[in-house]
Amino acid sequence: MITVGSLRVEYVAGLATVQDLGRDGYRALGVPVSGALDRLSAVYANALVGNKPRSAVIEVFGAISLKLLSNAVVAVTGGHPRVFVDNVEVKSWMPILCSRSSVLKVAPSGVGRIHYIAVSGGIVCEEVLGSKSTYVRGGMGCLGRPLKVGDVFEVSPIDVGYVWSRVADLRPPSNLVEKHVKLESSTLLRATEGVHSYLLEDLNTLLRNEYIVAVESDRMGYRLEGTPLSSAGRLGRLPSIPTDRGYVQVPPDGRPIVLMSDAQTTGGYAVALHVLPRDTDSLAQLNPGQRVRFKLVDISEADSEVSNYLKELEEPILQREELEYWV
Amino acid sequence: MSTSRDLRVVRSGGYVIHVDVCGEVSLDCAREIHKLYYSIKSELSNQFTEVVPGVSSIAVYYDPRKVSGESIVRRIRDLWQWCRDVDIKDLYRSRKFTIPVVYGGEFGPDLQSIAAWSKLAEDEVVRIHSSRRYTVITLGFTPGFVYMGEVDPSIAAPRLETPRVKIPAGSVGVAGKMTGVYGLESPGGWRLLGRTPLTMFDYRRNPPIPISPGDEVYFKPIDAVDFSKLLGVFVGDYSG
Repeated sequence: MITVGSLRVEYVAGLATVQDLGRDGYRALGVPVSGALDRLSAVYANALVGNKPRSAVIEVFGAISLKLLSNAVVAVTGGHPRVFVDNVEVKSWMPILCSRSSVLKVAPSGVGRIHYIAVSGGIVCEEVLGSKSTYVRGGMGCLGRPLKVGDVFEVSPIDVGYVWSRVADLRPPSNLVEKHVKLESSTLLRATEGVHSYLLEDLNTLLRNEYIVAVESDRMGYRLEGTPLSSAGRLGRLPSIPTDRGYVQVPPDGRPIVLMSDAQTTGGYAVALHVLPRDTDSLAQLNPGQRVRFKLVDISEADSEVSNYLKELEEPILQREELEYWV
Repeated sequence: MSTSRDLRVVRSGGYVIHVDVCGEVSLDCAREIHKLYYSIKSELSNQFTEVVPGVSSIAVYYDPRKVSGESIVRRIRDLWQWCRDVDIKDLYRSRKFTIPVVYGGEFGPDLQSIAAWSKLAEDEVVRIHSSRRYTVITLGFTPGFVYMGEVDPSIAAPRLETPRVKIPAGSVGVAGKMTGVYGLESPGGWRLLGRTPLTMFDYRRNPPIPISPGDEVYFKPIDAVDFSKLLGVFVGDYSG
């Protein structure tokens, strides 16, 4: 039976916004791409409920509670969120069948930072310049603002029973979450040289030392604490260049900032490195205080890694848990 | 092939080609960028996912599954040689825009400091700023921010030491040789001369801002009464 679904925000602590894979094609007008900070987790949430990879999901820094006003298949991905349906703990990174009136709670576990909630059918809201991603500074996309208690979202009409029969046994590969959301003491970020690597004579400082994710990290950029790059101070202000997610900017104070989805489209600071997109997704999941290390890779490795990443965003790799039941 | 025509190209991240066209920001540089930008847009449209002009460089974003970065770099270098003798008019037909501005007072809180920096009266700064035709260098930073040049050297005051946290949409500022308009409320460090009542960026329109690199802009001084009359008029609908 096809039902028109909806859900209501009952509680939110932190920042929750609706995001998809972003607003490509408008950088030349100064419009940031926006979209999920951790794109891989967002597409897996969608795949686990049978949605298209670019469907809108709810991105949560913190905790949220949603009341499902209709039956729905949901999935929660991201770091290692704790997920509860009517106060019963369930697993993240798998489809969950929720009945009408049930309450879905998602809270941080201390490991991982951002959660993604997908609902079968996909969230219905205003699309701006080809995307539902919320860009809060520009007041555009979906609600144009963070979610608040009382917000009600419609979900595209869908046959929930049919969806469940198709997705119930879908799981991501066993090591995917472990590889993606790092539990190790230090996360390795693969990066190519950046636009201004050649101007920074102490680039090796960045490559040899560990850096710590700073508290001042948000959807625009993640600041890193550690040995500053003194050469950046001597460079001063450079002509503004087009920038992107994963660019490691070094302002004159020498403290690196890794640009994220809502970063401005141009910047006048030295760009030391460019973190590969998959590793930017992993960085997004780190909490303040966690450590990172950069590893320089060459451009051909970056090309093939980005090819694999883009393919996985379009076709997430899923397995059937107990295949014999479904043949 | 003269060495002065060499481009510095950096490929990064597996999907970005950054092309440094010139070493510093100037109108001459902007003209070169516009020629290459519009050439890439028309000739390589099936090669990139997005092409973005900066003030002295261009970035081309591509999908490494569909094209090789190396081959796009070769095509860009060829285009660069090809467009050397091409007139920009053959690549892009520029449009003219007039932007009405209330100068000074609460609308332009830095007019005084610009006057002090230039050792000129405020009226004179306004006259100098509004009597030039500016070329749109590029858009960027935040939605609808328009970079233009060049400002008369006598009023080309540097950026503020400490940027403001919040600048109203429509604010018109200078930063050295460039003048610009803030499309949306945002933080920023340009010295503010005044503010336009026009809506510069409206995401519900397509395109959200009609101004493109290479277009010409004139600033027209208006008073506070005209400001309230024109408040919210879309920049594309204002004919001056």
